[in-house]
Amino acid sequence: MTALETQVDSAAEAPAGRLGGGFLPYLAGKVGGALISLGMVILLGFFAFRLLPGDPVAKIARERPMSADQIAQLRHEYGLDKPFLAQFWDYIVNVFTGNFGTSYVYKMPVSDLIAQYFWPTILLTGTSAVLAIVLGLWLGQKSAWARGSWFDKIASGSSLVLWSVPTFWLALLLLMLFGGILHWFPTGGMVTANLAPWSGAWLISIVAHLVLPVITLTAVVYAQYLMVMRASLLEEMSADYLTTARAKGLTEDEVRTKHAVPNALLPTVTIVFMHIGGLIAGAVTVEAVFSWPGLGKLTFEAIHGPDLPLLQGTFVVFSAIIIVMNLIADLVYRQLDPRIRRA
Amino acid sequence: MADLVFDDVSITYSTRSARGDIRAVKDVSLDIPAGGTLGIAGESGSGKSTLIMAPLRLLPDSATVTGRVLLGGEDVADLSFGQMRALRWDAASIVFQGALHSLNPVRTVAWQIMEALSHHTAKSWQTPEARRARMLDLLASVDLAPEHAKAYPHELSGGQKQRVMIAMALACEPDIIIADEPTTALDVIVQEQVLALLTARVAEAGISLVMISHDLSVLAQVCQRIAVMKDGEVIELGSAQQIATAAHHPYTRALADAFPTIGDPASRMRPARRSAAAAAAEPVEPAKPANPAGEGTAAAAKPAASAPEAPTDPVPDAPSRPAPEAPDAAAPDYASAPVLLEAQGLSVTFSARGRRVSAVDDVDFTVREGEIMALVGQSGSGKTTLARTLLGIQEPDRGTRVTFRGEPIPTRGRALKAFRREVQLVLQDPSGSLNPRLSVYEAVAEGLRIHGMDDEARRVAEALEAAELRPAQDFFESIPQELSGGQRQRVVIAGALALGPRLLVADEPVASLDASVRGEILGLFLDLRARLGLSALIITHDLGLAWNIADTVAVMHSGRIVEKGTVDDVLLHPQHDYTKRLIAAAPSLRPLPEGAATGAEAGGGTGHGPAARGSHAAPARDGR
Amino acid sequence: MSTQTPARTPGSPRPGAGGAQPGPASARAIAWDRRRRSLARIWHEFASDRLALGALVILGLVVLAAILAPVIAPARMLDVTQLLDQPRFAPPSLAHPLGTDDQGRELWVRMIWGSRVSLTVGVAATLMSMVIGTLVGMAAGHFTGWVAAVIMRVIDFFLVLPSLILAIVLSSVLERGVLTIVIALGVTSWAGTARVVRSQTLSADSRLYIERARVLGAGHWHIIGKHLFPAVLPLVLANTTLTVGGAIIAESTLSFLGLGDPTKQSWGTILKNAMDSSAATSGYWWYILTPGIAILIVVLAFTLVGRAFETIANPTLRSR
Repeated sequence: MTALETQVDSAAEAPAGRLGGGFLPYLAGKVGGALISLGMVILLGFFAFRLLPGDPVAKIARERPMSADQIAQLRHEYGLDKPFLAQFWDYIVNVFTGNFGTSYVYKMPVSDLIAQYFWPTILLTGTSAVLAIVLGLWLGQKSAWARGSWFDKIASGSSLVLWSVPTFWLALLLLMLFGGILHWFPTGGMVTANLAPWSGAWLISIVAHLVLPVITLTAVVYAQYLMVMRASLLEEMSADYLTTARAKGLTEDEVRTKHAVPNALLPTVTIVFMHIGGLIAGAVTVEAVFSWPGLGKLTFEAIHGPDLPLLQGTFVVFSAIIIVMNLIADLVYRQLDPRIRRA
Repeated sequence: MADLVFDDVSITYSTRSARGDIRAVKDVSLDIPAGGTLGIAGESGSGKSTLIMAPLRLLPDSATVTGRVLLGGEDVADLSFGQMRALRWDAASIVFQGALHSLNPVRTVAWQIMEALSHHTAKSWQTPEARRARMLDLLASVDLAPEHAKAYPHELSGGQKQRVMIAMALACEPDIIIADEPTTALDVIVQEQVLALLTARVAEAGISLVMISHDLSVLAQVCQRIAVMKDGEVIELGSAQQIATAAHHPYTRALADAFPTIGDPASRMRPARRSAAAAAAEPVEPAKPANPAGEGTAAAAKPAASAPEAPTDPVPDAPSRPAPEAPDAAAPDYASAPVLLEAQGLSVTFSARGRRVSAVDDVDFTVREGEIMALVGQSGSGKTTLARTLLGIQEPDRGTRVTFRGEPIPTRGRALKAFRREVQLVLQDPSGSLNPRLSVYEAVAEGLRIHGMDDEARRVAEALEAAELRPAQDFFESIPQELSGGQRQRVVIAGALALGPRLLVADEPVASLDASVRGEILGLFLDLRARLGLSALIITHDLGLAWNIADTVAVMHSGRIVEKGTVDDVLLHPQHDYTKRLIAAAPSLRPLPEGAATGAEAGGGTGHGPAARGSHAAPARDGR
Repeated sequence: MSTQTPARTPGSPRPGAGGAQPGPASARAIAWDRRRRSLARIWHEFASDRLALGALVILGLVVLAAILAPVIAPARMLDVTQLLDQPRFAPPSLAHPLGTDDQGRELWVRMIWGSRVSLTVGVAATLMSMVIGTLVGMAAGHFTGWVAAVIMRVIDFFLVLPSLILAIVLSSVLERGVLTIVIALGVTSWAGTARVVRSQTLSADSRLYIERARVLGAGHWHIIGKHLFPAVLPLVLANTTLTVGGAIIAESTLSFLGLGDPTKQSWGTILKNAMDSSAATSGYWWYILTPGIAILIVVLAFTLVGRAFETIANPTLRSR
């Protein structure tokens, strides 16, 4: 993480270079970029797990005692006894057919595991993202407009503190306070066992389980959004067109909502979506702390296995989600900024 | 109809820094009767923009206004915020400086104009349909097509944006329009059109106009009366004619002299240097010996310093001012000198996104030893690309032949580096051309170090002295921020001189300088030519600059040189339509001497008599 | 007019000033003198921010404690085999100022030793990411054409993918250890810096003084070394301080996930032990609060100091 303020400047500057062209070329460029990123992820998945010192089998053998036969068997299972290019080809074919191998810990296909754990993660991160965006942007623009007031001091001070806190520690803290001491919310899992799916009690149970993890993720991420929105609105506040708006006889609220905020949103959107990646990374520890059955918890378990096929699978899927979110951000940006849309 | 009165107004900015409070405006009393026009002239920092923000209470919170600002007889300080808002745009509207930033980039033109209408609905545009109709009427009244309503600001040219601003200012039928540098950053021809439009609409509707500019000639065209501001005070107030032609205050005269009238022999080859009185009033550059206006009295120090008379001066009458003390002594006879730089069939084509854009198109010209040539063109004419090509920064198209002393210009390696010592560049904005982290000494020594030249300290000192920064040692440790704009440009010139070049290419060397410094930098080019035999290619949008110092001029339009020749031939007897339009559009202060400007008059517009000025009459809009 | 200080009026012309030419040595002395003065000015500006000054003092104390760890708390106090008679999970008291952990170790001793790893990793990973980020960012800003396009693609990639995910992958496949964490964080977190440096380089690169240097005959290296690097340096330094905080959090996260060096103390490892012994649900609040608050204070301190420096490096941020 770097200074959020400076990102605002660069985000504002970045799209200028991509002016011009119709929607289709723009879309093609963006999709092409996302595909290149995906390709890089897939390559990284291959090289990180195979070429770095020790292949997966050596790594597993280091962590737990194995006989030479077992090792040879594993090497065969992972295809590590094949030549390098053949391994690469297998890998590519497997990735495109959704085959990430068999999890060492769960003894089942990684793709099945991911499919099973995918939606809880989307539920958790999606809810948190919406809350964080709404809260962060709303409080951020309020805070910037009332710069130096008590509201601003409290809002930006508290977000600075939240920014300085490790996500997992905030999770532990909330777990201890509301789960361990006050017993207001359940301390782990996603739903109480033995409830009929889609029944009222089942839904309520999910919401109850969702509260603490969502608060944790929202708190950390909303703080960042608040600071970004505040910084980018402050950037706009000396703009000349606001003087024009004031001279036209608008109230301060109208100047803010009709003129300043629409412009300040532009750099914010890019950064907000860029931080979706951070939100998903935060899900790893939050899901670990609250035993939320999502991809984050899967990653946590894969680390402990160590379960490299599973880790590789979650890495590729996490990366793909993030790349897709950023692609969406670019398309949303185009809708918001006429300078890109109609140039 | 409301009139606007400033009664003993002072405006103070409180700052938290050590500098304490800044009095931006001091005891200003002015009145603009209903239907009147007032121009406020002043250089940057004179407080003029601060002053005109007071009537609508648009100043930041850190500003304190004392004295009274009366709008329609009411003290604006007494109004509640609600009353003030009702007055804004309805009683007085503003055309802001540089419409580039004064329009909201994410809203359409129609949205922004109708927003103003919907906030002041007391009149005939109660319904959205009526507002839409009025918006289209307004666009039509500033010569914009209805399609422009749907445009976003970035889709419009600078002139179009300024038209939108004017349409918006007219929207609610205000009593007063305040225009803050409405034409700065616009090309001359566009400037003329915008001014004409503004004055015509204002005159039709009987609206009062307060206009601010650093350019006296612009104000003289539009306003009945002109107030001159300096350091927050009004130092002179009078009719436009009196201020333009017979100013009492030396500072006003210096401002007036800064922009020469083309065809006026008094300013030919003699840029207005700071007059002794003005220099005394503003002692910015003590290192420089005071020069009486228009005269090279530094002649004692440097015998051949003064401006040489142009050998082809066609004006038979003696110049109205005394001749320089040491005229012609070293006036280089450039016409028979060897050719220094020659371009044949020079073209530069950019390819962007599959389209090929021709920036410079088949241009031929020569610069001889000791010649000062002005390359005149508006923005987008390709003149800067041309300059970059001559310096070897931009690669020309194939088939282009550019030679320096008969040799093709090298494009890379050691030969290019050696070529750099021969041809040097002076850029438009001296603040930007100096690295703020490097001292003057380091900035001048930079080129010496790159080329591994010895005797660094002596060369730096000599270069600074040559650029008239004396004594050089006093400037060594200065950093750019400590220098005035004119001093910075001298440092840039010194940095170029340190390499001992034969040709200086200057890209708008005075465009970002205050008017009173302009003449001094231009004079320096003449001095350098006289003393060192240096040639110069000066790129400018300003025909007056060419008249001030150039021997020859080439007029560029859309990548082509449409006309070239001696300054006197081209500017006084223009042949090409575009040149005629440019000359016609250039605002001027004085009537031309009899018979001196037949060519210019043929173009129309320049020869406004004093009687014509100050009325509501729109300047000629010829050549559209 | 844009000058902050009134235009300097050089002293009255000295008689015979034209004669004595100062050599380069005196010019250098002048430059040094100016540098010293500007350092003094920076310090003065920094010290006027009380919050940042207080943060700096706190950081000084933490660093001191980390350096003096063997003196304050000898290493044997962490040796579990010598602590068999110590109470486990003892809440804070006079005998156990910060309480004890699941193996009877004093928490305050673990905290002091942990600060060594946390600070070292934070600073080292930051330095690494700064060096990579600055080099890549300056290259992306200065070069043009397909070189810049490729570099930008790589920056975008690392910018979009959270460094934590990449760092998890890297430290999973590499040998466990402090160095692994430093490398994993360093090579994955430089993209933000690169982006900031790139935009700063672009804005510096479009300055006329670069064009002027080019016309004076300067090559790439002269322009990068003499103009671009000094222009981005203040921002990079400020950014470094800010990034240390992020790196400390990232280190604690990796340790918490069990990717740290199990033989070394770090604040993240302490929290991992707390989690493993169900401290949150068993009421061992000191076990969770102590390391967390320590991280919070140190990260906040780095952030405050970094923001103060950033404001000095980029005065347009002052309003924030």
